[in-house]
Amino acid sequence: MEIAVGRIIRSSTTRFSAGCNVLRPLVPAFGALVKVSAVGGEEIYGLIYEVKMDDDPFVRQMAAAGENLLPEYVEDMRHNRQVPIEVGALVVGYRTGEEVRHSLPPQPPLSLDLMLACGSEELVAFSRRLDYFGLVLGSRDLPADELLGAHLRYAAQARDAAGHDFLLDAGRVLANLLALDLNRLECLLRRLRP
Amino acid sequence: MTEAEDVLDSFVPPWRPGPAAADEPRQLGIVVGGSLSEGLTIKLDRTSMVEGMAVGRYVVVRGSTGRRFFGIVSDIALDSVNPGFEKTPPDLSDPFVAQVLQGTSTFGRLQVAPLLVLEDGSPDPRPVKTVPAHFAPVYDASKEDVDRVFGAADDAHFFVGTPLDMQDVKVHLNLRRLVERSSGVFGKSGTGKTFLARILLAGIVTQDVASTLVFDMHNEYGWESEGEGRYRVKGLRQLFPSQVSVMTLDQESSDRRGSKTDHTVRIGYDQIEPEDVEMLSTLMGLSDVQVGALYHLHRKLGKGWIQRLLTDHAPRGESDAPDELEELVASDQIASSTLGAIQRKLGMFRRFGFLVPHAHDDAVGRIVEYVNSGRHVILEFGRYGSTLEAYILVANFLTRRIHAGYVTRKEEALGDRRQEPRPLVIVIEEAHKFLDPVIAGHTIFGTIARELRKYNVTLLIVDQRPSGIDEEVMSQIGTRVTALLDNEADIRAVFMGVSGATQLRQVLSRLDTRQQALILGHAVPMPVVVQTRDYGLELYAAVGYVEGGELQDRLSRNTALLRGEEPEGLD
Repeated sequence: MEIAVGRIIRSSTTRFSAGCNVLRPLVPAFGALVKVSAVGGEEIYGLIYEVKMDDDPFVRQMAAAGENLLPEYVEDMRHNRQVPIEVGALVVGYRTGEEVRHSLPPQPPLSLDLMLACGSEELVAFSRRLDYFGLVLGSRDLPADELLGAHLRYAAQARDAAGHDFLLDAGRVLANLLALDLNRLECLLRRLRP
Repeated sequence: MTEAEDVLDSFVPPWRPGPAAADEPRQLGIVVGGSLSEGLTIKLDRTSMVEGMAVGRYVVVRGSTGRRFFGIVSDIALDSVNPGFEKTPPDLSDPFVAQVLQGTSTFGRLQVAPLLVLEDGSPDPRPVKTVPAHFAPVYDASKEDVDRVFGAADDAHFFVGTPLDMQDVKVHLNLRRLVERSSGVFGKSGTGKTFLARILLAGIVTQDVASTLVFDMHNEYGWESEGEGRYRVKGLRQLFPSQVSVMTLDQESSDRRGSKTDHTVRIGYDQIEPEDVEMLSTLMGLSDVQVGALYHLHRKLGKGWIQRLLTDHAPRGESDAPDELEELVASDQIASSTLGAIQRKLGMFRRFGFLVPHAHDDAVGRIVEYVNSGRHVILEFGRYGSTLEAYILVANFLTRRIHAGYVTRKEEALGDRRQEPRPLVIVIEEAHKFLDPVIAGHTIFGTIARELRKYNVTLLIVDQRPSGIDEEVMSQIGTRVTALLDNEADIRAVFMGVSGATQLRQVLSRLDTRQQALILGHAVPMPVVVQTRDYGLELYAAVGYVEGGELQDRLSRNTALLRGEEPEGLD
């Protein structure tokens, strides 16, 4: 089941961001797999690395009003935002037809395309192979280890009983990738712990 | 299941063959490096427990060209992708972390000596001349692989044991090749050299590939003797009553032990030549001058020289003239001190009951006759076995004459192939006393070891100090059966003249103290570590031995049959 997260407001071949007006339980969530259609018909996959709420003049004014704020005003502000909630996603692959590639897409998604949160089945299919770890771990300006940890926990949950074995396999791939950085490896493995 | 196994299983699930995969060999790892001279480096797969490996085990590397490289595990090591693991080991109290890292970041490494290559379409394994490519998968050797290398049992191959960890695979020794060249059984004291030698001899007798002459120092080969664990093991005479003859130098001892002997060997003083005594020069402390004097004395005194030297006073005849010995001293041809020393040292012969002034029996002739008729001769030394001088004197005395006879007959056979003498294997113990570097050059045993099969006589050396044996002789030993050795010099000696020996050293020094042996050389296509077969009931039955009780049963059955009391089934 796919749930719309928001519409694309900014994109490149490595990252894209969508704006949405409201936070619902678990959507959007840090580490979740999302997808967006591209011009060529591909579906571009990303991992949500950031959910950001920027300020606007009204929010500032109301915040300055102190504690005497009617709850209705607060609710109205939250649902009718001037500036959308921004959801940033790191591109981790794309799909053409049935084939999933864990590499960067030829083109970025177009603005105002819908960002959709992937369901369990698609998450399982996407993480069948684990070649996209390099794309995540190499993003030095992001909380890459936290992101990967959160994503892998979701991917394990989506597998139910097979989740433990999935985490072991993922851990082993990480052990190879991070062979030269033992501290980082150990911290990351602790995050994966079921 | 023990607690330790539980913990291990939580890290790496134990390997259990599934119903379909039971016969499929298990992949152990992949080749990651190495060379032909230094051996291959194998990275163990995550599922291969390093603690489940053993040096001496066989593996097969499947090369990318269809070739199968047959090798032996020569070393096992622990390795990791990052040396940092040694300095700051990860916190393994977290089982998940431990489970991820073990076998991935930290893993076992095998050193494998490639020995043979099995090519598709070629039935026989060939010596290895190259190495498999990178990342070639490595498997446990299957029963078929081992069978292909060590051959099935036939009239030249004899089952000697099973490879380590492969109870249902049999390693066969090519006995024809074994007797073709001299061979050796080595091992520390108490590692079962005698048992190994007995198994080999049982094979030689069963397959009838040669005659044997055993100089049985400790009376262990002919009749029953005590094995390890206080049970009694049967001698070769009991197993092969019609093929094996036992002769003794000490009838009393043989009688006491209940050993059934065919002859008592006596050697006459008049049969002994200076060459026989020279072999004892080190043991008796004879100097070069004294050895030279022996030859001189023999020349002057003739056949009765020993008898005369052992007599204190010259036999006085009717005339009072001095005898030849006195004349030699008087004419200064031999110093009286030299003569005195020789007489004192030869005095030892008086204690050897098997030496008599004149033997009526021709021991050599009888042994040669037995050997030619296809029988095997075991010469028991009785109490003289503990006297090294007696052992060396007799072994040397008999072997020199037998060898000389073989040389003559072999030369005659050049004209007529039917005259070819039957191959003979001479078994000697404490061989380093015969073959030490000082005397090996000019003794008969050194000659036999070096001549190889030229004259159809070869040695089977049983020894615990191979380092004491002359290098040149050692390098000519075709097949070496080696139980545990831990002295560095002995290990070096055993591997002398063997290619790829460095890789096998670890294997040799890690053998069990009992019933394990490394066999290498002429009779096996590649070095092999075997759990040697039991010298017991199973072997007795395999060589056709029938217990007395059963024989009696068979006799009565057959008698009944002949009388018409039984319908059929003549045995």
